[in-house]
Amino acid sequence: MLQRYWFGDVDEEGCRSAGTDPAALGERAATLRTGMESYVPIDWEVARDCGVVRTREEYVDLLRAVCIARARAKIAESYRARDVELLQMVRMLDELDNVINLLQERAAEWYQVTTPSFSRKYRSLPARKMLDLIRKGARGGLGDVADEIDRLTVTRTRLMREVSARADEVLPNTSALIGGLVAARLLSRAGGLPALARMPGSTIQVIGSEQALFSHLRGGTPPPKHGIIFQHRRVHNAPREVRGRVARVLAAKLAIAARLDYYRGEAVPEFIKEAQKKIDEAGVTA
Amino acid sequence: MIRLGNVLVSPGEGGVYGERTLDGYRVWDPHRSKLAALYMLGGGVDLTPGMKVLYLGAANGTTVSHVADYAGTVYAVEFAPRPMQDLIEVARRRRNIVPIMADANRPEEYALFMEAVDLLYQDVAQPNQVEIAEKNLVFLRPGGHLILMLKTRSVDVRRDPAVVLEEARAGLERHLDIVDVRWLEPYHHDHAAIVCSRRR
Repeated sequence: MLQRYWFGDVDEEGCRSAGTDPAALGERAATLRTGMESYVPIDWEVARDCGVVRTREEYVDLLRAVCIARARAKIAESYRARDVELLQMVRMLDELDNVINLLQERAAEWYQVTTPSFSRKYRSLPARKMLDLIRKGARGGLGDVADEIDRLTVTRTRLMREVSARADEVLPNTSALIGGLVAARLLSRAGGLPALARMPGSTIQVIGSEQALFSHLRGGTPPPKHGIIFQHRRVHNAPREVRGRVARVLAAKLAIAARLDYYRGEAVPEFIKEAQKKIDEAGVTA
Repeated sequence: MIRLGNVLVSPGEGGVYGERTLDGYRVWDPHRSKLAALYMLGGGVDLTPGMKVLYLGAANGTTVSHVADYAGTVYAVEFAPRPMQDLIEVARRRRNIVPIMADANRPEEYALFMEAVDLLYQDVAQPNQVEIAEKNLVFLRPGGHLILMLKTRSVDVRRDPAVVLEEARAGLERHLDIVDVRWLEPYHHDHAAIVCSRRR
């Protein structure tokens, strides 16, 4: 009977070595299937009798090289997926938001002590306006910082567009329902497209509101109605009494959309149209 | 196992993950490594030269590198690409580590490369840890040992760790002889080590 090993094939007539090139052996290993019903672990001496190796050290060396080659190929494959880079892009975007906010707040504090007329009412200005004010009024270090914040803001806007565009490509159906940016954030929280596609709608609905969810599960507090998906306009613009319903319907449709994105990888217009209708209906108050 | 005073160490080339060295030995920190914690607490199975080990949940290869300092051949299985990159780097400098990128849930993926091992060590953050161990018993020789680092929080965060441990123990007892069960306090919380041996 033919026995197939990673280093060669053995049958009644003897042994045929598959060579000693790790890359080639790795590719060969990828094609072999192992049945577990009558499985017996390998004895390295078979490889020696085969003439593939002379000593145990050589056996382990070769096996190690094969496994490293195989692992490298698998790693490359997993990084080739387009969603992996999108994940890093969104996380960078969120990090930028954080940094910009921190710097802006600090800059405002600083500006306030140099400018007696800068009172609380300026604090409620939009960030952009306040930054312009600081840039005009401040000199030296503070002015430099304000310029830097401004540049960061430009970078952030550009990255946001990139994220949005990439999400439209990687998550066509999900993006159509909630927009590229929020779709990308969902992806980031889920940890990847395969993970998102396997999530139930109820998880998608509350993802991002873990604190509220666990405080609910521990008892007492009401359950969260929405997590990240709150950022979508149809959720946060909905009247309070139907917001939970909108979130639930939207999340349910997102779960389907994510699966379409993962398993089909292309936009499905009939589904999107139908889902949009259902979500809009959920937002209608009686 | 080598100790200098009360410090667990392993012999081998240092500088794998920024570990301290002591008299030319690499310090094996029980606060970082659960296996080191088990040895510090007086449990575990001694690693001997020539021993073959299947290590499930190898991660970045920090504990793996110490195991490889003592044992003969270490088959290190890890699933995630990021830590795998570090593990490959560790394996390039230690000739007795075979890094395998596969899912410990699916032993058929790496059965092709496996020989029978003397020790099956498992440290995976999965809810079905006992099931994974059972699936991998095909690689353990009769009389060999299983060290299962039970992460009770990965099984179910909401249940009492002691109950989770009792269940895992009962599950393993069906196929194996339990040698030792202990919590890894004070080094690791809600982690228990279950040492079993496979019946001959």
